[in-house]
Amino acid sequence: MPPTLGELTAAVPELDAPREVRLLSMERPLTVLRVSLHHPTPGSATFAYVPPQVEHDASPLLVGRGPDAHLRLQLPRLSRQHLSLEPYLEKGSARLAFSLKVLSRKGSVWVNGLTLRFLEQVPLGAVNRVAFSGIQMVVRIEGGTSLEAFVCCFHLSPSPLIYRLRAEETDERESVPQEQPPPGSGQGAPDHLGFLHSPLQPSPGGAPEIPLQREPLDGALS
Amino acid sequence: MAGRGSPWMLGCKAGQIPVLIMSSFEDVDTEETVTSLHMTLYHPGHQRSGIFQSIKFCNRETLPTSEVVKFGRNSSTCRYTFQDKQVSRVQFSLQLFKKFDSSVVSFEIKNMSKKTNLLVDDKELGYLNKMDLPDKCLIRFGDYQFLVEKEDGESLEFFEIQFFLSIRPLLQENKWLPQKPTPECGSCSPCSTQNNSPTEAGENEW
Repeated sequence: MPPTLGELTAAVPELDAPREVRLLSMERPLTVLRVSLHHPTPGSATFAYVPPQVEHDASPLLVGRGPDAHLRLQLPRLSRQHLSLEPYLEKGSARLAFSLKVLSRKGSVWVNGLTLRFLEQVPLGAVNRVAFSGIQMVVRIEGGTSLEAFVCCFHLSPSPLIYRLRAEETDERESVPQEQPPPGSGQGAPDHLGFLHSPLQPSPGGAPEIPLQREPLDGALS
Repeated sequence: MAGRGSPWMLGCKAGQIPVLIMSSFEDVDTEETVTSLHMTLYHPGHQRSGIFQSIKFCNRETLPTSEVVKFGRNSSTCRYTFQDKQVSRVQFSLQLFKKFDSSVVSFEIKNMSKKTNLLVDDKELGYLNKMDLPDKCLIRFGDYQFLVEKEDGESLEFFEIQFFLSIRPLLQENKWLPQKPTPECGSCSPCSTQNNSPTEAGENEW
């Protein structure tokens, strides 16, 4: 059972800080990233190192194959540092925001309808669909006001998480021809991926938030 | 004789007399220019307190573009440190990113200090606030003034950073120091050596 926000608030000791700072920090709720992960190969060891929960400070959270990755995924074609989730504060905001940045030189990362390449980054919204090297990841951000740390709660989904989705209408980068497959990928409509026709798996603790519409995906999903 | 880094290589087959083969200039990978970041540092007390003693001025350092470059007091987490207890353990960070539809990399600056706000030109950044770094700008925190100038390059793999020292305040009304040409030998002397007279520029101008 994933921990509640209240449990997470109390679970963060800051032993190096003075008592009054610790109490203040403990009263501030932590931002929670609820991360659902899926890989199409059944029984794969891709997620063998994924813990149920990890607490992280205000530095970028690294996702990749390497031992330095905070979210370590065992997939040979994944880069050692494939992408990062960086917390920051928008001017005037009290809640942590997150930015996803691609650190892989070889692979691309599909994020909410955008195909990102090396060193490109996008801010994340409340619910985010991410795909890279065959891995599907849905990141839901529950904002908290603590600036000391945030928590990632991981859920492994046996069913696909992402379907052919239209990019959000509010995305200002819709003018980029995202619906075309990447050059040289040789992949048009990935109909061979059977999971695209499976029913959407409900998100933990709530109704599905991802609308079912059709959009060609780039090679990031295969 | 062939040596490491020599364009001459020793090549031979079994039973043959070794001959020196010049590796083809035409075959090597095309060199790419790298993005360069020139940072001119100033602090009113740097000479007596040695706060910049860890900085190798005039030394061009090549860093991977994926690195988050941290500046602060803590040498175990920061690439560039200042010997000053008033500096936060991590004061600010710089990292590169690539804008969509751009062939060059850009820098982003993020304030990592809970105590001190960071000024980038006239914009103030609080803790964890970040912004795109203009190609030429003045960064300030406490008594520190850093003039930052960026030169675009082609490489997405590496960038260069080079520090210069200024003995005069950089915050003068619309008078930033011009970019210093880089000598061929790679060495240089600190900036502003022509005029050593004290200036009236105050430490608390902001």
